[in-house]
Amino acid sequence: MAALIEMREIVKIYPNGVVANDGVNFSVDRGEIHALVGENGAGKSTLMKILYGMERPTGGEILLDGQPVHFHSSNDAIAAGVGMVHQNFMLVPSFTVAENIVLGQEPLRNGLLDQAEALRVTRELSQQYGLRVEPEAVVDSINVGMRQRVEILKTLYRGAQVLILDEPTAVLTPQETQELFAAVRKLVDQGKTVIFITHKLREVKEISNRVTVMRSGKVMGVVQTEDATRESLARMMVGRDVFLQVNKPPVTRGKKVLEVHNLSYVSETGRTMLHNVSFNVYGGEVLGIAGVEGNGQTELAETLSGLRPAATGTASVNGKAILNTNPRTVRLSGVAHIPEDRLTNGLALTASIDENLIVDRYFRPPFHRGLFIDYKVVEKQSADLIQEYGIRTPNGKLPVKSLSGGNMQKVIVAREFTSDPALLIAAQPTRGIDVGATEFVRDQLVKQRTDGKAVLLISADLSEVMSLSDRIIVMYEGEITGVFPDAASVSEEELGLYMLGIKRQTKEEMEAVL
Amino acid sequence: MKRWMANPIVRETVRIVAAVGLALLLGFIITLFVSEDPLNAYRSFLLGPLTRLNRIGDWLEESITLIFLGLATAIVFKAELFSLGAEGQMVLGALTAGVVSLYVPLPPALRLPLALLAAMVVGFLWGAIPGILKANLNANELVSSLMLNTIALKIYEWLLTFYIKPPNAGYTASDFFPKEGVLPNFFPPIPGLEGVRQTLVNQTNLTIMLYIMLAAIFVVYFLMYRTPFGYELRMVGINLKFARYGGVDIKKVIILAMAVSGIFAGLAGAHLAMGIHTKLILNITFGLGFEGVVVALLARNNPLAVPFTGLAYGYLRAGADVMERASDMSREMVLVIQAIIILLVTAERVLPMVQKRIAASRSNGEGAAAAAEGGSHAA
Amino acid sequence: MPLDVVLRGIFSALFAASVLRISTPVILPALGGLISDLAGSINIALEGTMLVSAFTGVVVSAYTQSVWLGLLAGILAGVALSALLAFFHLSMNTNIILAGIALNIMATGGTIFLLYILTGDKGNSSSLASGAVPVINIPLLKDIPFFGTVLSGHSIFTYLAFLLTWLVSVFLYKTRLGVHLRAVGENPEAAASLGINVKKVRAIALLLSGFLASLGGLNLSMAYLNIFQRDMTSGRGFIALAAIYLGGRKPLGTLIAAIIFGLADALGNQLGSLKIPSQLVQMIPYVATIVALVVYALRTQAQVRERMHKFQQREAEIAAKASGD
Repeated sequence: MAALIEMREIVKIYPNGVVANDGVNFSVDRGEIHALVGENGAGKSTLMKILYGMERPTGGEILLDGQPVHFHSSNDAIAAGVGMVHQNFMLVPSFTVAENIVLGQEPLRNGLLDQAEALRVTRELSQQYGLRVEPEAVVDSINVGMRQRVEILKTLYRGAQVLILDEPTAVLTPQETQELFAAVRKLVDQGKTVIFITHKLREVKEISNRVTVMRSGKVMGVVQTEDATRESLARMMVGRDVFLQVNKPPVTRGKKVLEVHNLSYVSETGRTMLHNVSFNVYGGEVLGIAGVEGNGQTELAETLSGLRPAATGTASVNGKAILNTNPRTVRLSGVAHIPEDRLTNGLALTASIDENLIVDRYFRPPFHRGLFIDYKVVEKQSADLIQEYGIRTPNGKLPVKSLSGGNMQKVIVAREFTSDPALLIAAQPTRGIDVGATEFVRDQLVKQRTDGKAVLLISADLSEVMSLSDRIIVMYEGEITGVFPDAASVSEEELGLYMLGIKRQTKEEMEAVL
Repeated sequence: MKRWMANPIVRETVRIVAAVGLALLLGFIITLFVSEDPLNAYRSFLLGPLTRLNRIGDWLEESITLIFLGLATAIVFKAELFSLGAEGQMVLGALTAGVVSLYVPLPPALRLPLALLAAMVVGFLWGAIPGILKANLNANELVSSLMLNTIALKIYEWLLTFYIKPPNAGYTASDFFPKEGVLPNFFPPIPGLEGVRQTLVNQTNLTIMLYIMLAAIFVVYFLMYRTPFGYELRMVGINLKFARYGGVDIKKVIILAMAVSGIFAGLAGAHLAMGIHTKLILNITFGLGFEGVVVALLARNNPLAVPFTGLAYGYLRAGADVMERASDMSREMVLVIQAIIILLVTAERVLPMVQKRIAASRSNGEGAAAAAEGGSHAA
Repeated sequence: MPLDVVLRGIFSALFAASVLRISTPVILPALGGLISDLAGSINIALEGTMLVSAFTGVVVSAYTQSVWLGLLAGILAGVALSALLAFFHLSMNTNIILAGIALNIMATGGTIFLLYILTGDKGNSSSLASGAVPVINIPLLKDIPFFGTVLSGHSIFTYLAFLLTWLVSVFLYKTRLGVHLRAVGENPEAAASLGINVKKVRAIALLLSGFLASLGGLNLSMAYLNIFQRDMTSGRGFIALAAIYLGGRKPLGTLIAAIIFGLADALGNQLGSLKIPSQLVQMIPYVATIVALVVYALRTQAQVRERMHKFQQREAEIAAKASGD
């Protein structure tokens, strides 16, 4: 049987030179559930965006039913029967379920909207595919699971034959996930084809017929699901690039700096993102948090740094409580924070480098004297830090936006490392920056730890976590599922099993080593 | 050309001068069509404010109000807050300054500072209201400040009509302020120069508010660029999330920004009451609050540029007055010119388009490929 | 005037009729503002649009001696001003508030400037013999006591205002374009992902708001009064904006809010004779709008807090159970 979709030798190079897809061959048969797995940045989203017409490939061709197709926009893809359900839903909150489903192609009667017809179509589709929704409910008031079903129905209403589901379970509870799987099976029973993007290998085993594994923009293998074990898939996914050479002198562990007990966080939509997380970080150590992104790491960093309110639990730095205070109090308690998204939180792009370097200290001497900020001191500090941290810029008066990504990160690192913190929270500290800057940032992190600071390292880059950390904990679905007291003695495969939810330590096992 | 256009200050200045020039040109075209004697009309518009001492005085008086309002607006806009509340704060500033000038039985040395202080305090408090609503409830500051403008105006009219207006007065206005409540002329009584002073007193109402205004410019400048609060204000404006992450108390900054802005709007009101009209009248502000937006906008919210744009804007208005008296043109033409200036200055796409054209036409001689490249670079 | 006379005045049919008359020039621009607001483009230039159309209607009807041509020209002028706003906002990326302020200034200045050129007077157009839209006496209804006085004998604009409230409601909720318009205002990304042209929809919304605002302006100069006066809108464009928010951004709510503003205005006029200051009465709707903003915000905050509480309770229960075991 010929493949329904065939993507041949797809190459995608972004204008900034990033090679997202490097000669990818990907094919999907009619009526199968095809899992596409890989770590963040492996290139699977780019590949699917190309298939859905949102991105144009740099090279390669796409065949649909054996015929070459060229999608210029997602409208073209929709017309050809390809539908995509995005991770962040595209719904109008004040509209009803039925209104959202027919939006853009509303049924009319006598020139006016035919609400009854919209409701009827919604019910019919809902029944036909076993996607339970309340057609008359306002989207704002329904839960995430139903919102997702609405998104799927939207694509079906537009006649999709192939559905791309982009990490559909990332936002679902286990029960909702089971419902989704049932619905996906029903879709396939009725002749649809589903491409399922995920990193959760348990789900891959459960739902898919075939798996394509991607890593660093390339396809690492295509296997029948029944022939694959979760372990074999994990090895293909996580595989080591090059071992990082980090010079890490031995240090004796100092006193307890950060103590977190039973921390939980509930999102504004009511979803539990962190559940009873407890751990400590000691002076002179790097505690690495490994985990696939989206398993609560962002929320952990942001509740600890005062940017989000915690629902339950306590956290203290050197005995001072920091939860549910505010960022200023947290910082004054001795916490520095390299934020995950530097453009959103970490920098004021149109402000000067000088001014970006003082956001945590402008109100204290020697920067603040009498009524005024002493800009001589500010400039002096800036000149020193630019030199010390090798920030490439003619001077500190230039806006931060004139710097490259790596140099922007150096500005943040320079500020956070010089605030004399007791605890340093580093979230994705080397994401998207060049090799030189990456190496520099990693060396600095280790230096801080060697100087006796406590470092909490959160990174989706497993090799980074493994080479920098003294101890490692793994987070999965908002909970700690594994604790490894000696980072040097754990293998990446072992960590991968915990990160992907295949293995899990018991509470007692974890307490024994924490 | 390309090199010096890379400097943002130069680029902004060029852009604003070009916009003003183009608007004035359009004004001249209108005048050509409408006026019997267009050259005379336009000459009096462009040069009129300088031709007599009292006209210079009028220009400067008007500019003082505009500069205060420009400063007030620059503060809120710098924090990216779209408050249009200057009008209401100004009305209440005029009211309180007027009430103190009229009724508080103190000698001038105490009464005048008290009146100014009262206007500043009221402006501060009235400005704080939309700030509190925004900071704590995330209520749209544009809508709430517009509502508060009307409420302030109604309070003003109510008190003026029912309490301040003398019972036997034929129209709604207060008595003239007693001389203890009128700001003295800006020219100090220097021995030997009494004659000069007398001439000035006769010709203009330009008061010591001039010096307060100069002080205000520097106060706002230092506040914005030298104090911790100013730093917070600017960081909130550039990237609110960054400020929050860095430990800035966002709510405090929003409330204070709106309130401090009110201080200067209050002073603008005090200037109207105590400097220009020396009594309280209906419609004392006459929609001037929005003009502050224009002054701040042209100054790109930079307090040191505000006096220049305020003077330029005041000059246009004063010129229009002279033109109206000296010719068959009406002064409202200047409003049309103002509107064109705002549109040209705020249109984000105008300058890039012009640059592209220039770049394209320059590289035409160097071949088509170079033209395309030059065009895309300039864009 | 003694109290009972005033009270009788307030509860009279004439008073009710005057409320409708005063409300009309707020209802019409408010409906227009509602449309553009729902599309995500706040139209600050309602005020200027009304002025321009009021002026154009008077002038054209005076020179052509045709009321209908005057109305048509007034509408065209108002829509043209909105087109200018749409152009600057959507094509030139101008901040819509600043562009709106500019157009208001232009409208104020331009109308007075042209009035002076045409009449030599800067105050009003009394020297022009402009047309007036006739009042409509509704047969049968006009003879019913009380209701006849309240409901009959208004200008066509007043009836239009009510009819248009219904039409706008149908448009927004029952037509394809209306639904697209609301989707664009609420989640432009989602709308765009379904092939809806966001800029086009917003441009249409602004033009429609210009059309409705110009009816409000024409109502002022060709029905409410039969002349043009400088600044004759006196802030009605901004009151209209307030009415949208007080009315919860719904057509019927906006209508009711606009009538509340009209009522406050009419009451203010009546009570002026009673030593209750009219200004204080007129202030009420503005205060109410702010209160409405506050209440809305408090409700949203309470919802978030409630979710958090629920979670904490649940956790506490689980913990209690665990320690009990």
